[in-house]
Amino acid sequence: MNFSVVTSQFWALCLQGVALGLIYSLISLGYTMVYGVLRLINFANSEVFMVGTFSILFIQVSVLGHAVNVDPIHGIQLLGALLLSLVGAMLVCALLAMLVELVAYRRLRAHGTNRLASLISAIGTSIFLSESFRIFTHSRPQTSPRLLEKWTFGEIAGANFRIDTVMAIVASIAIFFALDQFVNRSRLGAAIRAVSMSEENSRLMGINLNRVVTLTFAIGGLTTGAAAFFYTTIYENTQFNVGFNLGIAAFTAAVLGGIGNLRGAFYGGLALGLLEQFASAILGSQWKAVTVFLVLVLVLLIKPSGIFGEAVQQTRT
Amino acid sequence: MNKNSKHVLAVVAASALALGTVVTSQASAAPKEVTIMFQGPLTGGDAQLGQDQLPGAIFAIAEYNATNPKVKIKLEKADSQCDGTVAANIAPGVAANKKVIGVIGTSCSGEARNSFPSYIAAGLTMVSPSATAVGLTDPKAPDRGYPIFHRVLANDKFQAPALVKVGAKGVTSPKFYIVDDLTTYGAGLALYAMPAAKKAGTIVGTDSVTKGTADYSSVSTKVKASGANVVLYAGYTQDGAKFVKSLRDSGYTGVFAAGDGVNTSDLPGLTGKAGEGLRLVAPDVPFDLLVTKEKLAAFTKATGVKVPGLYVTSTYDAANVFIACIKKGKLTRAGIQSCVAQGTFDGVSGAKIKFDRYGDIIGGAPVGEFVVKGDKIDYVGIA
Repeated sequence: MNFSVVTSQFWALCLQGVALGLIYSLISLGYTMVYGVLRLINFANSEVFMVGTFSILFIQVSVLGHAVNVDPIHGIQLLGALLLSLVGAMLVCALLAMLVELVAYRRLRAHGTNRLASLISAIGTSIFLSESFRIFTHSRPQTSPRLLEKWTFGEIAGANFRIDTVMAIVASIAIFFALDQFVNRSRLGAAIRAVSMSEENSRLMGINLNRVVTLTFAIGGLTTGAAAFFYTTIYENTQFNVGFNLGIAAFTAAVLGGIGNLRGAFYGGLALGLLEQFASAILGSQWKAVTVFLVLVLVLLIKPSGIFGEAVQQTRT
Repeated sequence: MNKNSKHVLAVVAASALALGTVVTSQASAAPKEVTIMFQGPLTGGDAQLGQDQLPGAIFAIAEYNATNPKVKIKLEKADSQCDGTVAANIAPGVAANKKVIGVIGTSCSGEARNSFPSYIAAGLTMVSPSATAVGLTDPKAPDRGYPIFHRVLANDKFQAPALVKVGAKGVTSPKFYIVDDLTTYGAGLALYAMPAAKKAGTIVGTDSVTKGTADYSSVSTKVKASGANVVLYAGYTQDGAKFVKSLRDSGYTGVFAAGDGVNTSDLPGLTGKAGEGLRLVAPDVPFDLLVTKEKLAAFTKATGVKVPGLYVTSTYDAANVFIACIKKGKLTRAGIQSCVAQGTFDGVSGAKIKFDRYGDIIGGAPVGEFVVKGDKIDYVGIA
């Protein structure tokens, strides 16, 4: 065990943990939003993320014409490229998530099919997407161009405030704040909350259930697309199975925070990111997964509905 | 001629006829084509390793078939993606294919280890161009490849000290940080690098990051905090590229040196500028430095590859081990196995290849030093 690195690099590990954790949080919204409304796990969300990362690659290389080994760009050109990549990935992911809902969920829901059928349908969609990309890319990882030069704002107590890290943290928090406001204050948000409380009562109140479900998938897709953008900007690579590990982590974050709960997803992701960084630093990287899942099991033993699970119940009643 | 003599003559004549029939039937049953399998990563994250090697086998077999031999060789490919699990799944199929009399491969050590059960049971000989893990030929290792596994290059007992030497070159008071990827190859190479690193300087830290990890920021932070000036990485290209990018982004300016798993032609493209000056080793000497211009032109004509990648030399040698045995009329798995185990073969460098009882090349083989310059990996010399 190496505790000295924690004392000397505490803030650096915190900063990296927060950045990674917020990426998890954004993806976990795709799980938690759908679960909140349908009480189903959208297993295809990890592949929505994967497609998002490839869409960024497509935009940057094929649409904007940047070679993989291009020099970083600056000014308006950079801003335009980043915005186009972000918005493009969010739209692609939102559309794909809506398509997943239409193909894998809606018909089964309409027929009142067993929940297990929807679960298998989602897993099938997930495998279809990842295997398609595996064939398409010959299983080979793809590198994305470094458009953003990774300059730093400065180092405080060993924490390197690099532009990509800061951008991911600030933008992720802004997205969460906007989504929280939307769900809690807007009319459509109220409809989502109503459906999450009671599908039957919502229908009786005149809420268009299909519309709310589609909207929920779209929102999950939008946040997952944003996560794909920040992931690609920081790590600059993707492959057909990139969604698997990230998806497992994000799902874990959602369960840790209390699945179905927006704030739970946010804090669950943060907790997971920090946990991974500190477990790697203290115990060695090979113990990261062991530690994370041990903590998850312990949390669920003590609080089966996750850290924020109780709060969800209270808001629902 | 007395009665006894007539009897003897009759028996001899009958025996001769019978023998003749047997010989004739054997001759007519002799295959006109045998199959050699190339097994390694042809798709997946480590595909470049196999794609770099394959032309060596294609060229050797094309050269042989061009001489119009009685028995031609067909080269088939088995894609085990440098993944032990995939290898374990496909090896039974390769072993069951009776046409296959030998395997050029595997490329990676984990693939080899997981293929052993099928190939040992089937008596299918392997000659690997790049699986370097020591355990594969360790007489004491329970999962060694004896008696079917052989390799035409030095193992990690030779590569690991060379990696340390290349990493520490020109560095005063080297402080090593050693990272592996927890694979059969990576963990072994890191383990064998430790004693040499302790001799050459100080080990200030070690870590193991699972192959396929996306985020290397934690280990990069640890490297920086440790004050290391030489990072030794034992793993494969994709993760090596992610690690070196993360290290450079974290502000680390010291040496980054890696073993042959990272030494594939796609590395500079994956690392971008972060890979500049990256030091590499590999128990191989580039093919184009060993052969004549005419032979290189013939290689390009046969394979379509202008610049031979790493391990073309050893793959060419591995293919020629089988070709030499086939030339001697060894057309069965058993015949190939005894021929490979007992024979002495010519390497493209001019050195003789002979295997010890457990499949390692007797007398070892050179380990080369390489460096990333721009979008190329340059050969420096013997490490």
